[in-house]
Amino acid sequence: MQKKAGPLFYVFLFVFVFLVMFPFLWILLSSIKPLSELFGEEAFNWFTSHPTLKSYVSVFVNYPFLKYLWNSTVIATITTVYTVFVAAFAAYAIARLDFKGKSVILGIVLSVSMFPQIATISPIYMFVKKFGLTNSYLGLIIPYTTFALPLSIWLLVTFFRKIPFDLEEAAKMDGATPLQTYFKVILPLAVPGIFTTSILVFIAAWNEFLFALTINTAENYKTVPVGIAMFQGQYTIPWGEISAATVIVTIPLVIMVLLFQRRIVSGLTSGSVKE
Amino acid sequence: MKNEKKSERRLAYILVAPSLLLILAVAIWPVIQSFYFSLFDYRLNNPAKSSLHLDYSLNLERYLESYPFLMSTLKQEMTQATGEEKEQLTSLQEQLQQVDEEIRADKEVAKRYEQVDEILNNFEVPSEEIKIVPIDEQAAEDLIKTINDTKQTLKSLNENGQLKQGDKLTGLANGLSGAVIEPNFVGLAHYKNYFTDARLWKALWNTTVFTVISVSIELVLGLAIALLINKAFFGRGLVRATILIPWAIPTAVSALMWKFLYDGQNGIVAKYFADIGIINNMSELLTTGTGAMFAVIFSDVWKTTPYMALLLLAGLQTIPSSLYEAASIDGATKWQQFVKITLPLLKSSILVALLFRTLDAFRVFDLIFVLTGGGPANSTETISILAYKVMFSQTNFGGGSALAVIVFICVAIISTIYIKFLGADLISDRK
Repeated sequence: MQKKAGPLFYVFLFVFVFLVMFPFLWILLSSIKPLSELFGEEAFNWFTSHPTLKSYVSVFVNYPFLKYLWNSTVIATITTVYTVFVAAFAAYAIARLDFKGKSVILGIVLSVSMFPQIATISPIYMFVKKFGLTNSYLGLIIPYTTFALPLSIWLLVTFFRKIPFDLEEAAKMDGATPLQTYFKVILPLAVPGIFTTSILVFIAAWNEFLFALTINTAENYKTVPVGIAMFQGQYTIPWGEISAATVIVTIPLVIMVLLFQRRIVSGLTSGSVKE
Repeated sequence: MKNEKKSERRLAYILVAPSLLLILAVAIWPVIQSFYFSLFDYRLNNPAKSSLHLDYSLNLERYLESYPFLMSTLKQEMTQATGEEKEQLTSLQEQLQQVDEEIRADKEVAKRYEQVDEILNNFEVPSEEIKIVPIDEQAAEDLIKTINDTKQTLKSLNENGQLKQGDKLTGLANGLSGAVIEPNFVGLAHYKNYFTDARLWKALWNTTVFTVISVSIELVLGLAIALLINKAFFGRGLVRATILIPWAIPTAVSALMWKFLYDGQNGIVAKYFADIGIINNMSELLTTGTGAMFAVIFSDVWKTTPYMALLLLAGLQTIPSSLYEAASIDGATKWQQFVKITLPLLKSSILVALLFRTLDAFRVFDLIFVLTGGGPANSTETISILAYKVMFSQTNFGGGSALAVIVFICVAIISTIYIKFLGADLISDRK
């Protein structure tokens, strides 16, 4: 159904993209408004005549926002590296080796990825509390395994399966052991898949909310989503700062998505489409 | 050849083992524990219920901090008392002595009793493992009864001014009563309570409404968008990137963003909605039940429709165009092509997308927690939000765990139904 797109199509496309992006656009415009223009009559003006960066300065001066960013980066990076590392072995075995119980294992992985977080939170909370891991990086990295590991295995299995099987046969003919085949033949070819998996796991860990909300409650250990969500005080909501903070976390995301969109899409759809 | 197979199998198990063990430890075991927690009256803010007790036990530290002093004070009091009072006090002392012996009849208890006594005599603090000792049910019940009798008698004697050291005695008796730890195993009582609790049914209903409406809208819109952009056009990558952004941003952050846009006084979206007549006035979005549910669903549709469209687009691209060419040569209309070719071939893509979206929607937490907090008046409270509130606001881990188990069971039922439709497609080897 590859047809040429007409002008009407581009109009539709523009409207669609505009609607999707509108909230971001509005937040961006609000983030440079002076505080007085966020409320009252002027609140609905699109463009401010007095653009200011006060909200951006305030985010870093009045809130430990840099610390939030650092916490999220550390936690999401370690979670990604360690789960993808562990998952790569399991995924290789499931995708390429012959053994009994394979579909049972994959079934377990899939069902665990569907577990509602709330069903694991009370024992995990008691566990981290008992071992004094609340308000620490490890206190979130351990619980993050619950969703990061099944996700990694699931994605990596689909990527490993796409690598031609002839390569393995050839390696075997040449007398390579399965482990040699893995490190010398499969792994180099799987690098793009591993990279894609890492991006998706990183985003999942970066965005996690419930564990971060309950386990790391101290200001110094909050992650970005919880930190921003807790900007709102008891009676007032600092919309200027919230807008600025939202823009700050969205920009790197936009860059990442622009750079890696092909990979992200292939990762998102790999489990759902038969080729 | 056979040996090679065997070693390959062994290698496979070794490679899979770490992942499986981790999943077992951090995901499956906690779910089992959640179920176990849900059978207890487990409350973090109540010292007697802050751990799980299947049987009666005795806190020897508290017991021995009260019992000997109670006995000696009673004795002093007896020497000064006369008549009826003396009789009452003597009988109390005898009863207490008796239950103390009854408790110590158990060898293990007796051993620990001595141990803790010695530790206390050295002015040290006994550890948790040593001081808590399980006791026989009969002994525990006798002990509780005797302590209650003692408290009662001492209280009335004290009120009548018949005791010299009345306050000290009643204080010691109270200290003693805190030493017995009753089992907080309640069986399925939490479930029974919740199933007759209107709040749970309301939360389940809210969750279902949210899930069904948002997922259906997302499917229809997502499919429409996928069909429309399934062609070659200029700026395709850019469009793809734009629609990934709502998906990639943290839900909590996007929820806060929408809260700003929906604001009853300054929210631009609220204003536009009021202007075009979707709502009567701007504040309706976040202050009325229907308005809030609409607001939550609208935000969810905004965030996940693009994702749905991407999944379906990927499915559409696997349908060979020759099928459509053949159909149009045979004179099939566009609609016929859609119903006879597109839908059947897209079926598994649609089901997979629906499965993931339904489960995600059913366990919704971040969006609602930040946007409405479950309000106004619990009108957007979903089951996950309710479970969170029971656990962390009321610190009722037993009841909260029961709710969490209910969420888990619902999710399990939904996935089973979908997987029935999907068959084993999802996990089969696609060789």
